[in-house]
Amino acid sequence: MNTTVDGDVARYAAAVRAAFADLPAADREALLEDIEDHLVEVAAEPGGTLEERLGPPEAYAAELRAWAGLPAPGATRRRLRSSRLARRLQRLGAAAAAHPAGGAIVGFLPELRPAWWVLRGWLAVQLASVGLSLLFAHDITLPVPTILGSQVVGLLATGAAVVGSVALGRRGTATRRARRLTLAANAALGLFALVLLGGMGATRLTDAPTYDAYTVSGIYSEALPGLRSDGREISNIFAFDAKGRPLRGVRLYDQDGVPLVATHEDNPELESRLPLDKNGDAIANRYPREQYRVDPVTGERRPVPAPRPQP
Amino acid sequence: MDTTQLLKGVLDLAVLAVVKERDGYGYDVVRRLRAAGLEDVGDASVYGTLRRLYTGGHLTSYVVPSEEGPHRKYYAVNDAGRALLAESTKTWRSFTDAMQALLGLDGEEAA
Repeated sequence: MNTTVDGDVARYAAAVRAAFADLPAADREALLEDIEDHLVEVAAEPGGTLEERLGPPEAYAAELRAWAGLPAPGATRRRLRSSRLARRLQRLGAAAAAHPAGGAIVGFLPELRPAWWVLRGWLAVQLASVGLSLLFAHDITLPVPTILGSQVVGLLATGAAVVGSVALGRRGTATRRARRLTLAANAALGLFALVLLGGMGATRLTDAPTYDAYTVSGIYSEALPGLRSDGREISNIFAFDAKGRPLRGVRLYDQDGVPLVATHEDNPELESRLPLDKNGDAIANRYPREQYRVDPVTGERRPVPAPRPQP
Repeated sequence: MDTTQLLKGVLDLAVLAVVKERDGYGYDVVRRLRAAGLEDVGDASVYGTLRRLYTGGHLTSYVVPSEEGPHRKYYAVNDAGRALLAESTKTWRSFTDAMQALLGLDGEEAA
């Protein structure tokens, strides 16, 4: 007899656990706390794998559920089943649960639920803060949100929201309507979390935060330095006339009359030779620039060829 | 006749009886039920029944460490379990008496 839970037992137990994912964590644990030990006993008897002996884990779980006097999964999952997407997700979940590693993850996911409840509370306040920022024109602050211009109020609101969210999560939703509402709110907050993460990533790239709570100025902050188009840096500009002949010595300005200065932050191997005006100052917005690519090893300079216009 | 259909009504009773006779862990209870003649009893059925009787307060449990295998969760019948068993036994007796009479099997059992 093995003292460690072998692969067969772990896999089978994970698949059984996955079939109870709809239950509140406490109920599930009360039911399955020693399922592994139990399956080890079964596996210790000679004769075939657990699946050969006990049937598919889903069927085992269904029998277990019925005898333990718990509601059938349909009672809580019927609504999800009705949509094709949900069906596909369920199939995907079942396939993942069948794989050893996937099974471990699927079985483990419900245990992350309390963490989500906490995160959800924080996200709700952060979302409120973003909404209020439109009215009060304050910055979005992380990690403590600003509410009514104050991070203290934000902290208090976060505490209250986390307590409320956890209470809601523990109690569960009684009615179908409440469940639908919770599902929609969860989805919205999840989406908001992605947007927030995106904003955080953008600021992080440029300047390391100098204070403990760094600021994302607006959610759609474009904080990368240099001249860019869709995030891709523009290091040189080539102009052509209507007949496709290259133009030289073109001075470019943006909509506000500010000189348009190409940059090569992302391409340190590029070197630009800028023309000088009569005072000896560089003319940074004259195109195309004379550019060289410097070999980092040999230091050799090669002129960068001009592109041809794409028809 | 499919014995699993019959078991539905009486597995609680069978499990309580087995555990009352001697404390047992999950798979041990399965084995003893099968040895007693209930060969078709499902592993998950017994496990589920044990957990339900336990959460319902009819069984207590304790863990016995094992050197060669996993720790075993033993179940024992408490007062509430004994009361349930006594009551269920009474119901079972009157039910089987009725069935015996209905099937014309009276007296065969006494022989």
